[in-house]
Amino acid sequence: MKGTLRSALLPVWNVLCMLLAPLDRALQPIANVYNRTLGGHFGEMNGLQFAVISLGFAAIATVPFWSPFYSETLNITFAVASIWAIFAMSWDIQSGYTGYISFGHSVLSGAAGYTIGLLILHYDPSMGPATTIPVAVLASLVLGLVIAVPSLRLRGPYFSLITLVGVLLFTNLIFAFSGWTNGELGIHQVDPFTYEPWVRYYYMAIPMLLVALGLIYISRSNVGMVLVTIRENERAVSSAGLDPTKFKISSFVLSSIPMGIGGALLVYYGRAINPTSFVEISNSIEIIAIAVIGGMGSVVGPLFGSFLFFFLEEEFLRDVIGDSSLRTLVLWLFVLSVLVFARNGVFRVIWHGLGAVRGDSE
Amino acid sequence: MSTLAGCVPGGGGGGGDAEGPITIGHLAPLQNPLGVGSKRTANMAVDQISENGGIMDEEVDVIHADTEGNPGTAESEAERLVIEEEVDVMVGTFVSEVTQAIMDFVAQEGVPLIVTGSAAPSTVTEFIGDDYDQYKNFFRTGPINSNFQAEAMVNYVNHLNELHGWDSFALLADDAAWCQPFVDTLPGALDEEGYDLALNQSLNINIDDFSPVINDVVESDADAVIRFFAHINASPFLVERAQRELTFGIEGIHVTGMHPAYAQLTEGAATYETTSQSGGGGTTDITEETLPFVEAYRERFADSDPPVGHPMYMGFNTYDAINVYKEAVERGGTWDYANDLDGIVEAMLETDHTGVAGQIQLYGQDAEYPHDAMETRDDEGTISNFPITQWQPQGALECVYPEQHATAEHMEPTW
Amino acid sequence: MLSGLPAVLINAALISALYALIAIGFTMIFGVGGVLNLAHGALLMAGAYVYLLLARDTISVPVFESMTLHPLLAFPLAVVIVAVLSYLLYAVIVQFVEDNPVVTFLATIVVALAATEVVLHYAGSATHTYTLIPDGMLPSTIDIGPVDGILTVDVVGFVVSWISIGLLWVYVTKTDSGRAIRATSMTERGAQLTGVNVHAVRARTWLVAGALAGIGGVFLGASTSATPNMWLHPLSLAFIIVVIGGIGSIKGSIVAAYLIGFLQTGVGEYLGQNFRGILSLVLLVIVLFVLPQGLFGREFDHE
Repeated sequence: MKGTLRSALLPVWNVLCMLLAPLDRALQPIANVYNRTLGGHFGEMNGLQFAVISLGFAAIATVPFWSPFYSETLNITFAVASIWAIFAMSWDIQSGYTGYISFGHSVLSGAAGYTIGLLILHYDPSMGPATTIPVAVLASLVLGLVIAVPSLRLRGPYFSLITLVGVLLFTNLIFAFSGWTNGELGIHQVDPFTYEPWVRYYYMAIPMLLVALGLIYISRSNVGMVLVTIRENERAVSSAGLDPTKFKISSFVLSSIPMGIGGALLVYYGRAINPTSFVEISNSIEIIAIAVIGGMGSVVGPLFGSFLFFFLEEEFLRDVIGDSSLRTLVLWLFVLSVLVFARNGVFRVIWHGLGAVRGDSE
Repeated sequence: MSTLAGCVPGGGGGGGDAEGPITIGHLAPLQNPLGVGSKRTANMAVDQISENGGIMDEEVDVIHADTEGNPGTAESEAERLVIEEEVDVMVGTFVSEVTQAIMDFVAQEGVPLIVTGSAAPSTVTEFIGDDYDQYKNFFRTGPINSNFQAEAMVNYVNHLNELHGWDSFALLADDAAWCQPFVDTLPGALDEEGYDLALNQSLNINIDDFSPVINDVVESDADAVIRFFAHINASPFLVERAQRELTFGIEGIHVTGMHPAYAQLTEGAATYETTSQSGGGGTTDITEETLPFVEAYRERFADSDPPVGHPMYMGFNTYDAINVYKEAVERGGTWDYANDLDGIVEAMLETDHTGVAGQIQLYGQDAEYPHDAMETRDDEGTISNFPITQWQPQGALECVYPEQHATAEHMEPTW
Repeated sequence: MLSGLPAVLINAALISALYALIAIGFTMIFGVGGVLNLAHGALLMAGAYVYLLLARDTISVPVFESMTLHPLLAFPLAVVIVAVLSYLLYAVIVQFVEDNPVVTFLATIVVALAATEVVLHYAGSATHTYTLIPDGMLPSTIDIGPVDGILTVDVVGFVVSWISIGLLWVYVTKTDSGRAIRATSMTERGAQLTGVNVHAVRARTWLVAGALAGIGGVFLGASTSATPNMWLHPLSLAFIIVVIGGIGSIKGSIVAAYLIGFLQTGVGEYLGQNFRGILSLVLLVIVLFVLPQGLFGREFDHE
């Protein structure tokens, strides 16, 4: 099936190559400057790849300036997409890289969210983000370690299961202690940064870009390589004299910290802190879906995956399909077809395509 | 930052506009039969207003947004309505956590929000009751909040006692904010009236196995269960009760049971269950507007997808809310909330509207529940805008309380 | 009156049989292909809704007219349809991704989410109930020993579950096509060497597991109700049972189903509903750490 698809698309591909190859060659000198300076840390690129990724980041950096030409709500959609991009990248550095699939990442952002909420509700209502966010990230990190240390001995589905159990337990506990957590109503007492959509966009997008930078840097370092090796062949890591457990735990730590940041941003975005928005299993699954369409194990893929996911859900499909369940169904079918036809993600396919226009690879 | 705002296209955002058409944003869980009813009555209200020349000669539009009963979705939908659609007023919201989640944003924008579903008193007291100036664009036109509902429930229990001699009751409730008044005040109130509280349980809203609960009720030997379920869907409870032919009464509130075809949906298991519901399920003339409205609804949506019949619960309140808003705008001469919110508030507070769910008046600034729907009381001071319906044999829906609206007498379960 | 220990024991025994049935389908799929089918819950849901479509005229979908068939006709028909859906799930999606456990894992959960939206779209978020036992055919409640008022539908569910499990046992031990399934689940390479067509075996397994899910789903919907989210709880239950019993082991699933069934019913009765889920989860965590291969299983190992 895949073979026929590929051969059907081959002529299209050839035409594209013919058109793009000169462009790539023209752009190569600029890319070379980058490759010589930063390429070692963030990965080398050819001209076209460099141009596209620069354009991509430039577009993200200037959303409020061009978004009104598409729709008034793009600032809102992409602010949310930024938060979920953080979640998806965090998930990716842990699950996508090591192959230990976590179904419970919403627990980590939930821990951060509830930490802020409980602090403001029960400790000191006047606490500002400068105090609450570090505490929240710390809480997320601690919970991450509590889950990671015992669970990472488990393999494959057993690990996924234990993270899933984490979500179910967390949700149950919120209801069991509803006197404290406000149960289903949640905590709405935290004042958001701002309601001005374009300012808020930057409040979400700038931390997201910083997280992205950090995670990309780490993923291209030796640590990232070890994590991938864990996914491909865990024994090889041991035989190289490295302790895989140590690296798996550090991947969880690397993941918990940005999850905490994302959870805190979601609070200050203005979301009421309640089980539905923060903890429930559907949140974890959405994170995974975003990472999947972007491309697991690439960090940048999930980032763009999030923007694509929310653009489809909140803008494009909304204009086409009025009924919300039908719209969500189409979205899930899209995720499913990415899994079946392009399991490495939409953006990785594009990326490799760009890398190969001059026929160097593939 | 503010200087920058000028050069950001669309940086201003929101704000509504002082020009027509007047746009109404309707927020409800549209996958839920109750949301469907609310959507339809909103359309009805808007069509009728348009046919009669609109509001202050302006055209009127309604835009529906699906909250999916999810606070996060509701937040982005509310923003969308205000910023992209530039609605002039919002009506709806059913689940209390949804209402409370959008409250801060709505207060910030100043767009009037008329709540027609959620009944938790904290939605009033913790927001507008706490900081009037911040939340003064908030209104509730019905149903009465659950503190009043709790009071009315006691009167209803007295009525049942007179009728059937019932004197011991089992109290079951959603473990959720809207039920707090029932859980807090009913046990004491029932005790004061000399009744025996045989059981008192708050149930996890994710409950899926009712057998232990039913067993507890049976063991407690209560004459009737008084239950308050908006989150919990008690259909399995009713089915098990019917199959075991248990004869305790089922009283209180059950939102799922307000579905116009509920008796048929449960294959008769709902028989004898009662629920309080806005508009009395369209069975009786709460006001002179009620039955013509229900008739018009029935006719217009007879061939639509289910649920057909009458609009459930929010449907009545949403229809009323839109008409209340229309009258207020015409009274105050403005719908421009960005510049004259106080004018709108003042006009809204003067409301005395004969709606389809009852006579609607709102409490003022200094009341315990500012801008909330007033209860109506009969000569003896008994709350009267709290109609209760019962599913009687053969799927008949009857209003059984209060007496001035009743279409049939309350029936004791016999199988 | 229905109270005390005997009632708890009987109710637990009845519901556990259904749990076992649900878990066995889940574990069989895992046994032969190494696939964790997170859409198993969605198949259960399909059972309940397909039955509704066939036997009640309360929901409608395009093309297919909703009808009111007799339960004795609607039930087997629903089971067959779910079995076919299960097979299609394998043939259309899973077989193209099953070489990668992670992708399969994700694809099946996405299928479950898509199924939720389908149900939401056509049947709404409302709860649907149905009585499986036709009026007048059997009394609606039965007395067992000292316990009155046991719901007939639960008893029938118990009986049908055990008959199905029995038939399954006969199938996998006495027939060639069933033995091929068992052989494949023990050692795929070995089965291949003895001439078993592994591909066909997998497809057949999905069909059988789908039928089990169909039966389980119809009874689950009858004993509680049909809702768009009804798949999550039984799925996590199946997951818990299968891990405790040992992934891939039918015997383990039955034992663990009874363990969990008794635990949940007992806790629900004596400690309250809030703790029902929590205690099973805690038990699962303990088993995972102390006995990761479960009571009767081998540890999962994907190369």
